[in-house]
Amino acid sequence: MPTVTMTVNGRAVSGEAEPRTLLVQFLRDTLGLTGTHIGCDTSQCGACVVHLDGLSVKSCSMLAVQAEGAAVTTIEGLSNGELQPMQAAFREHHGLQCGFCTPGMVMSAIDLVNQNPTPSEHDIREWLDGNICRCTGYHNIVKAIKAGAEAMAAGGKR
Amino acid sequence: MFLRPRTLREAVEALAAPGVGILAGGTDFFPALGERKPAGAVLDLTAIPELRGIEIGPERIRIGAAASWTEVIRTPLPRAFDALKAAAREVGSVQIQNRATVAGNLCNASPAADGVPPLLALDAEIELLSVRGERRVPLGSFITGNRKTVRAPGEIVTAILVPRTIEGPSSFLKLGARRYLVISIAMVAAILEADTTGRVGQARVAVGSCSPVARRLAQLERDLVGAGLEEVGARVEPRHLDVLSPIDDLRGTAEYRRDAARTLVARALEAAAGGFLQ
Ligand SMILES: Cc1cc2nc3c(=O)[nH]c(=O)nc-3n(C[C@H](O)[C@H](O)[C@H](O)COP(=O)(O)OP(=O)(O)OC[C@H]3O[C@@H](n4cnc5c(N)ncnc54)[C@H](O)[C@@H]3O)c2cc1C
Repeated sequence: MPTVTMTVNGRAVSGEAEPRTLLVQFLRDTLGLTGTHIGCDTSQCGACVVHLDGLSVKSCSMLAVQAEGAAVTTIEGLSNGELQPMQAAFREHHGLQCGFCTPGMVMSAIDLVNQNPTPSEHDIREWLDGNICRCTGYHNIVKAIKAGAEAMAAGGKR
Repeated sequence: MFLRPRTLREAVEALAAPGVGILAGGTDFFPALGERKPAGAVLDLTAIPELRGIEIGPERIRIGAAASWTEVIRTPLPRAFDALKAAAREVGSVQIQNRATVAGNLCNASPAADGVPPLLALDAEIELLSVRGERRVPLGSFITGNRKTVRAPGEIVTAILVPRTIEGPSSFLKLGARRYLVISIAMVAAILEADTTGRVGQARVAVGSCSPVARRLAQLERDLVGAGLEEVGARVEPRHLDVLSPIDDLRGTAEYRRDAARTLVARALEAAAGGFLQ
């Protein structure tokens, strides 16, 4: 089995992976980072969103071996003891109910704010087209992202 | 076996062996597998620098086979490419656009591929490479049917080439059962060029999802020449859509598709004409 080496949440990691292993399986099963969820098998739901070299991607639609040498950030990599501002905003504004979609929502939201530090409600709703939530009706998620963007702009950006 | 070559030469040599599948952004490749594993060896094209990037030349624009939809959106391009950029924003979601390539969309050859109508309207050509050499095929003859292309098993699509033979505003409209993340029921790309008197000098119109392969509406394009910019939508007649052969399926009936396509064509032309005012 090939060995895959990448940086995950700032730490160099390597692990054996059959070539057909998806990145999301590698993160969850090999590295034990189960914060990245699998919600569908068609790459539609967005529960598995992580950052690959700084851009949001669905970790179910690429192989672990394709991330060789890349830098991956998962939901576990955001906090340094204290919640990252976007995470804190999701808690504060109750941007979740069951929480299954939340890691993907937060990772997408941070990519949005990195591209567009002051998103409008419309920008946020449009950006979330690849993240599906069946509990909240999205209202509190949108509120949380707006607040999270403001908190990140106010200096909490990481 | 998983192969991730760093040069094009290694890639075409690897592909000369039988049964090797090509992987780019993987956004069609993985969902199509479901629970199965790939049947043979997989050749990943995403680590080959020669396939990256979008080059803007005076005569033509070259979209490398590894260029993603996000790169299309972020690269400043002439306004005839606005239709392609609008289509790029419709391909799945941001995360899909960050991985998925334009070339993969064309090679996958779905009748509902959003990249096909804008690139057909741009008269794009496909550049293919194998150990036997290079060839170019117009996009209109590259895709031959539902999920069928003329690509030979040993060939890699290396780039999409767009000649700069039209200059003017363009538009793309897509109809789906919902607003976002949806498979097209019908989509239209239109590009207009004005002549010196401010009337239509050249028009290009392509319709997707209404035939096994997206089609240009050649008769309409001819009939639009000389039209005033305010009357482009009104020039569309049902006979102009006779080249389409929409089907009945779970997303819509043939009749609905034909009617929707006609409306979309008129609106896309009006939107493109509106671009002259900006
Ligand atoms: C959730 C979701 C939503 C989507 N929404 C849309 C949508 O709205 N509109 C739309 O048009 N598409 C959509 N797609 C389909 C897909 O994202 C696009 O078709 C995309 O452009 C495919 O590119 P890729 O790089 O991911 O291709 P891959 O999946 O890597 O490859 C696709 C096919 O092309 C072949 N191939 C790829 N590159 C080459 C090459 N250089 N040379 C030869 N063969 C090659 C592969 O062997 C494979 O058969 C969606 C997919 C998902 C998962």
